[in-house]
Amino acid sequence: MQLNLRLSHKGIILVAVPLIFEVVFLAALTFLLRQAEIEVQRQVRSKAIISQANTLSKLFYDAGVAMGGYSITKSPLFSDRYDKIVHQIPQDLEELKSLVGDNSRQQQILQNLQVITVTGLKILGEAKSAIDDNRVDVAQFRARHMYKEIRSLADRLQDELRGLTEDERKIESESPEVQNRNRMLVKSILVVGVLLNIAIAIALALYFSRGITRRLNVLTDNSIRLARAEPLNPPLDGQDEIAHLDGVFHSMADALNEATRKERAVIENSADVICSIDMDGKFVAVSPACKAIWGFRPDELMGRRFIELVIPEDHQETIRAVRAVRAEKGNTEFENRTRRKDGTIVTILWSTYWSETERSMFCVAHDITERKLAEEATKASEARIRKIIENMLVGLLICTKDGYIESVNPASEKMFGYRADNLVGRHLLCLFRDSTLFSDENQADLNSFMEDLFSKAFNRIGEFDALKRGGEDFPIQISLSEFENSEGTRYLANIMDVSERREVERLKKEFVSTVSHELRTPLTSIRGSLTLLSVGALGVLPEQAKKVVTIAERNTIRLITLINDILDIEKLESGKLDMVMENINMTSVLDRSSESVRAFAEQNGINLEIIPSAVNVYADGDRLVQVLVNLVSNAVKFSPKGATVTVAVQEVQNWVEVKVIDRGRGIPEKFKNSLFQRFQQVEASDAKKKGGTGLGLAICKGIIEAHGGNIGVDSEEGKGSIFWFRIPPASSRVQHPVPVPVR
Amino acid sequence: MKILIIDDEEDTRSIASMSLGLLGGADVVEAASGAEGLRKAAEELPDVIILDLMMPEMDGTQTLTNLRKNPLTQNIPVIFLTVKGMFSEFDNLRHLGALAVLTKPFDPTMLTTQITNILEANSQSLKKEGA
Repeated sequence: MQLNLRLSHKGIILVAVPLIFEVVFLAALTFLLRQAEIEVQRQVRSKAIISQANTLSKLFYDAGVAMGGYSITKSPLFSDRYDKIVHQIPQDLEELKSLVGDNSRQQQILQNLQVITVTGLKILGEAKSAIDDNRVDVAQFRARHMYKEIRSLADRLQDELRGLTEDERKIESESPEVQNRNRMLVKSILVVGVLLNIAIAIALALYFSRGITRRLNVLTDNSIRLARAEPLNPPLDGQDEIAHLDGVFHSMADALNEATRKERAVIENSADVICSIDMDGKFVAVSPACKAIWGFRPDELMGRRFIELVIPEDHQETIRAVRAVRAEKGNTEFENRTRRKDGTIVTILWSTYWSETERSMFCVAHDITERKLAEEATKASEARIRKIIENMLVGLLICTKDGYIESVNPASEKMFGYRADNLVGRHLLCLFRDSTLFSDENQADLNSFMEDLFSKAFNRIGEFDALKRGGEDFPIQISLSEFENSEGTRYLANIMDVSERREVERLKKEFVSTVSHELRTPLTSIRGSLTLLSVGALGVLPEQAKKVVTIAERNTIRLITLINDILDIEKLESGKLDMVMENINMTSVLDRSSESVRAFAEQNGINLEIIPSAVNVYADGDRLVQVLVNLVSNAVKFSPKGATVTVAVQEVQNWVEVKVIDRGRGIPEKFKNSLFQRFQQVEASDAKKKGGTGLGLAICKGIIEAHGGNIGVDSEEGKGSIFWFRIPPASSRVQHPVPVPVR
Repeated sequence: MKILIIDDEEDTRSIASMSLGLLGGADVVEAASGAEGLRKAAEELPDVIILDLMMPEMDGTQTLTNLRKNPLTQNIPVIFLTVKGMFSEFDNLRHLGALAVLTKPFDPTMLTTQITNILEANSQSLKKEGA
């Protein structure tokens, strides 16, 4: 029978079963010994009772004899003897009573004995009293009478005592037999007990041998099998600890197998070569990746010295590295170049571990040829970038978030007259004219300077006055941008010396001024003269002469317009278009514009329709008139004779929108975007046919954007165009808009 | 209408004079410098003075200041006629008391009309102020 007991339960059984048996065995023995002891005690008591009964009988006789002797001799010797016996009898009777115990038959006998002895002692007492009183007759009578009575009492006493001792004698005679039987019983129980004990011990031993030892042997065998990578024994039955341990052992073996399988899969499929190399430098194990990396199969490498793969130039370094690996006795890495089977060279990173116990070097060989090439490419790229930075004409400077210079390029050195080592570690402030006003030792000054620098030059181009080493100041343009490096946030400053540009600007301004004055003054006279001639102010000219004068006047006006446009464009580009911004009413703008172009419209047979509007705008009136005249002139130029050009003003959301509507040829889609660029006209021949410089719309765009507005055109080819611009109304009066350079 | 033209450029002065005189029918007086202009203004008391800005010795600004100092000439309207294209300067000139600024080259046929319009606008605004 197979019990599904746990090992702990089995242990309890192993201890408890013999223990229970021992307890039962001991109880049985104790009981038997107790029985034997009781038997012995009963025997002793019987003997004592018999002895005591005999003593009592004898005393009774002795009392009679003493009284007889006293009656005859009156000797005190007998009297004393008698008194002593009389005194002794009750004591002996009590002793006998205590020996008898609670045996009811014997108690009855003892009561009878007591009555007899009391009666007898009373008779003897009376006899003694008669003797003492010298009443001889009485005494004799009494003696005679008494003798009979005593005799009778003595007989009865003898009978009772006999009755008493009879039982005891019977017990006494039976006792050896009982004792013998008890002894035999004890002996039998002892023998049976010992035999049973041995039998239980053997049974338990067998049971444990089968249930534990054999199962433990299976476990031991499994350990050996696991070590040898052999299949394990079937799992043990039962639910005890050994079965559980066996189950865990099987799970562990399964996990080990899985791990081994995975490890093998990793090794087999690894792109890196995993290998071990012995003390002599020979391959003792190589993973299949060696085929991909070196072109050799694993069996081609096994037993070969790995140094044979290494190119001769790297031999010394490799040997040194391997020695270091052995000395380190831990994980170490080194690189070398190896030759493939096809002769090409691959750079390998060896990650190695030296095992002192196995006297082998375990390696992972990783092909880093690509990485090396990439690193070299990166280095070359870095060198190239460094070269570019060093040869840049723009000054480059890297500083910390607080403005302390970390590095500068040669252009910066040249620009500021410092060597790089004089600048590194110093604050940016030292390169600015502000350093003559502020101290680079005062944190508040530095903060104030950095705030100013950032507000003007962070992610934009700011203009500052810089300071050369010798104290000479010069204008720079600087732009700061942020980047992160390993040490945190850094700023890159691009710095350009704009001294020359400023000079060019100054010359340009002078030139513009000169052109403005020196060209316009003579043109004023020419144009005036020609107009006076053409309108007949100086007399009527012959038809031919009038025609020539008109041509000269028209071309002079064209030249003046071109000069004005060029000057306006220049001002817009330099952001220096002067604007006088104020709240103005559109009525005056419309009237002035109408006045300027009405004659031109009439000349071209165009009907000019100006829809009145009293909307107020925040603008430069003269500039608005300039824009509107330009747009209406264009509309007139490109409209067919007899058509109407309409100017309308309306408020659209937060804008005042001015529209110039014509019914001309319209603008092809592809020109709509470029129309507002300089020198752009829909057809190249337009400039010749219609006049104009091609700058008008670019100027209009610049002026409208300088108002913070925008300009555009909606047009359908063949149906006409609507040129519109939007500017802020007077109610949204804002700061003077920043002039926007026209591109 | 009597108009005084103060301009150092004789050609310009002549064209302006002819434009205003021949085409506009005005009575034109010419002066070739600021000093001469001051003197003629006081003598002739024109209805309006057309003043050039850039002149040697006494430029247009100084001339205007001096005109304003003289009680005889201080109320004569002054209109600048200049080639200088700086609108901010125009603002300054208006502050000094110039009624308007006209630029050269000008349209001779329109010059008289422009001046008349400016004077009319001025007199209307004066009336409004007076009212």
